Amino acid sequence: MSAGTTPKIVLPGVKHVVAVASGKGGVGKSTVATNLALALHMLGRRVGLLDADIYGPSIPIMMGIHETFDPNTTSFPLDRYGIKLMSMGFIVKPEQAMIWRGPMVHKYLQAFLTQINWGDLDYLVIDLPPGTGDAQLTLTQSAPLSGAVIVTTPQDVSLIDARKGLEMFRQVNVPVLGIIENMSYFIGADGQRYDIFRSGGGRKLAQEAGVSFLGAVPIDPRIAECGDSGDPVVHKYPDSEVAKIYIELATVVAAEAVKGGAREALPGLAL
Amino acid sequence: MANVSAHLRPTALRKNGEDLLEIDWSDGHRSVYHWTNLRQHCPCAGCREERDKPPDPFRILKPAELLPLKPVKIEPIGYYAYKITWSDGHDAGLFTLEHLRKLCECPACRRG
Repeated sequence: MSAGTTPKIVLPGVKHVVAVASGKGGVGKSTVATNLALALHMLGRRVGLLDADIYGPSIPIMMGIHETFDPNTTSFPLDRYGIKLMSMGFIVKPEQAMIWRGPMVHKYLQAFLTQINWGDLDYLVIDLPPGTGDAQLTLTQSAPLSGAVIVTTPQDVSLIDARKGLEMFRQVNVPVLGIIENMSYFIGADGQRYDIFRSGGGRKLAQEAGVSFLGAVPIDPRIAECGDSGDPVVHKYPDSEVAKIYIELATVVAAEAVKGGAREALPGLAL
Repeated sequence: MANVSAHLRPTALRKNGEDLLEIDWSDGHRSVYHWTNLRQHCPCAGCREERDKPPDPFRILKPAELLPLKPVKIEPIGYYAYKITWSDGHDAGLFTLEHLRKLCECPACRRG
């Protein structure tokens, strides 16, 4: 039995690689990753966004790229709104299911990192699929991750899985930059705050795990509308409350990633 | 299991003769390992299953098992583990830093 080869990927032009993860699906990870990437760009940083969800890529629709491209004739990454982008959704039609076992996921993620000229970036944001499986293992074993941001929603059913994500990053020695609570609350037309999925779970989890609570993103119908129309809320409504929250989150994430500094690889030994 | 914090990491690896691996850690500790002991504690699923089984008195050795077993390669995996490739081709075990720290055979660690 072979564990396969896991060459250490070097991205010389990329200063910080930040993974956006969650244990559970459907917590808004891709929405957070997309808007975080755009917010970092609005702060004047050079940003790339890699969609590591091979089975269910969401970045193409969220960034308004609906066509597929021939990888033999297209120069990836694509560029949209100033962000460099790569996703399985750019080379495979949306109606085509990727019925692959882990080694194929591993192969394509390695290719996305090594065979694409990401150029000089301050931040490469990686939108991970949910869970603690093949994509997470490939990236934590071979990509030079500066750290990970965990996205959760406030309720226990999401927190249970977020804990698993936290534990995975602890076990593979990737620093958790902090926790973002998405769909945290809703401000109604009456100006009242409604805690639709309960409240405070993200902060509680951060305290419990001894990591930073980065902030809370409210439910705003415009976020979904913008995601579906391919123009993320931070870009389409830069003066909205949600956009301001994302700018604050990006500022904190940028600072936390820099604070972590360049991570030194483990020493080797030639036998 | 020994708790290896995110800040505790190896600073250097070296061979000591043919039989020993030494690891210097960021907390100043120097670990010593016999390669044979590392192989006996290979954490891969296949070896763990093999260790859990009662010994088979009639097991037929493969030709590669008749030769003295040697490590041929040791390489870091991410920020958390090392993979050792052995002379019989086995390379499935990822030795996490936690596991390595636990397997240390230096006199202080053996005393517990």
